[in-house]
Amino acid sequence: MTWLVWRQHRGQYLIGAALLAAFAVTIVVTGTQVADQFHAAQAACAAGHGCQRLGGLFMGSKVVGLLVLATLGTPVLVGLFWGAPLVAAESEAGTTQFAWMQSVTRKRWLAVKIGWMLLAAAIWGGVISALVTWWASPTNAEQLNQFDPGRFDIMGIVPVGYSLFAVALGVTAGALLRRTVPAVAVTLAGFVAVRVVITLWLRSHYLSAVTVTSSVLGNYGPQGAYWRLASGVLGPNGQPLPQPNNALYLDGVPQTYLPHACTVMYGPNPPDNPPAACAQALSHFREYLTYQPGDRFWAFQGIETGIFVVLAATLIAVTAVTLLRRDV
Amino acid sequence: MTWLVWRQYRLQFSLGAALLAAFAALIVITGVQAADQWHAAQAACAASHGCQNLFLGSHAVGFLVIMTVGAPVLVGLFWGAPLVAAESEAGTTHFAWMQSVTRKRWFAVKVGWMLLAAALWGGVISALVTWWSGPDNAQQLDAFNTGRFDIMGIVPVAYSVFALALGIAAGALVRRVLPAMAITLGGFIAVRAVIALFLRRHYLSPVTAYHSVITSFTPSGSYWSLGMGVLFPNGQPVDQNTNGNVLNGVPVTYLPASCNQTTRGVFTPPPSCTQALAHFRGYLTYQPAGRYWTFQGIETGIFLVLAAALIAVTAVTLLRRDA
Repeated sequence: MTWLVWRQHRGQYLIGAALLAAFAVTIVVTGTQVADQFHAAQAACAAGHGCQRLGGLFMGSKVVGLLVLATLGTPVLVGLFWGAPLVAAESEAGTTQFAWMQSVTRKRWLAVKIGWMLLAAAIWGGVISALVTWWASPTNAEQLNQFDPGRFDIMGIVPVGYSLFAVALGVTAGALLRRTVPAVAVTLAGFVAVRVVITLWLRSHYLSAVTVTSSVLGNYGPQGAYWRLASGVLGPNGQPLPQPNNALYLDGVPQTYLPHACTVMYGPNPPDNPPAACAQALSHFREYLTYQPGDRFWAFQGIETGIFVVLAATLIAVTAVTLLRRDV
Repeated sequence: MTWLVWRQYRLQFSLGAALLAAFAALIVITGVQAADQWHAAQAACAASHGCQNLFLGSHAVGFLVIMTVGAPVLVGLFWGAPLVAAESEAGTTHFAWMQSVTRKRWFAVKVGWMLLAAALWGGVISALVTWWSGPDNAQQLDAFNTGRFDIMGIVPVAYSVFALALGIAAGALVRRVLPAMAITLGGFIAVRAVIALFLRRHYLSPVTAYHSVITSFTPSGSYWSLGMGVLFPNGQPVDQNTNGNVLNGVPVTYLPASCNQTTRGVFTPPPSCTQALAHFRGYLTYQPAGRYWTFQGIETGIFLVLAAALIAVTAVTLLRRDA
């Protein structure tokens, strides 16, 4: 059976391996340069006067950066080009009638085919993610943004979960529809829909968010790469202030809420500290920040991976039940 | 023949039309809200200060609008690639090409209707996105930027036509649906990326403006910034990637001590500092906003020519091939 799987799918697997190899070469070559640049900058910072401008340091080429961002779309490829045709192409060509009449049982046929494909999908997602995570580590250290949607999704272990889910979705769509092109379309649409819904609406609720309030006169920022969910200013009555677009702000408080003493702060050459009457007025306002702390990154990666692996397992179970019951 | 095309592809066309209708409903409803918000804000801005940080529309719809950058390739994948390949794979070309309808006419009618449908797909999506983004464009002045340019105006029509032609050509040459889809996806992304990232900026030679670093310079409208920086008095560019303080684009290590900013807020440099700054010049290389439609026209032309070449290759290949 394993030999059969290799013979049938070697074209697909070889193309996948070739793409991975080309990607790895690009990433390793450019990533080494980026890492050197980063270490040189860090050394310069340690030697001289703190790194105020390190945020403006440009990490690597824009084209490779775009390629790294484009790896958001790589998990679905295995669903489209490996998963969807797995059963559908055989159904369409009528070769299931032949395949399922051999000495190999239908159960074993399915288990071996899907098993190898899931393994290949996990490798695909894992290798791409490992390369991207390594490449992006200077940028992560500098921008502290790996928890943000879009960055979280291309690093760590979630790309493995996405790839497994994409293959399972493709296999299921193909087994149920029995035609390749519609199965490809369903896989594409289903994958995008599930990913978008989970990313935009569910992910922020995996663990209850932390809300911190602090004086607007201070400057509060949590440690590390936290994920900012909401922020704003609370009025003296504890209610969030509206933030109109056409107002001047001082420390996040619209001008209309502040006494006349604060006007000097808007002029040219404002004093370092607001006048006493203004500081007094400002002290009644508090700013709030709702966020997921940076040290929850791996917990969130684990939860999201778990969700997608469970979805994948469910889809595979549905496929197995459907196919084992189906008349040839 | 037209009846045959409709019978064979009515499912694909109906699905496409349903998706367009759903997208149109969503865009029109949220677009009317965004436009109302915009006009209310404009009135408020005119009454008081300038408008910054105005947020228009919902995150989810904004995301959907950005995603339309991928819409053209869908017609290439699901309409174009199977057009010839599915018939070759099923062996129905043997039957189709033996009828009283000549192979030339069969190909012309099928491809003609498909191209029309693809142009409609790209045009309707682009018209909706362009209208929806009107307030955003007026506020952000970023219509010329890579990524925004690609989902508005007339270029999405050409992208769709090109994607379809690429799909048909790949299907006709490879004769198998799935490999044809993979080639269409890979080819479309490669051509779009190369043209958007490397070629587009050279359609017309960019304008470089020099200005004093003390006064800032901003061209009018939605210009496309290609490069900017600061030059030493001798014309050499200043390396701005330093770890120190920067004043008006010039690292303070090149400036007298009087330029060291110590207070917060707006810094008004003393005369000795202003004089030192006056020797530096800033430059901005850009494509002026007035060239937007010229660029749209050139890019559309390029993709239409590519599409025509692909259709021609396909026609020659198919007409010469034994059934």
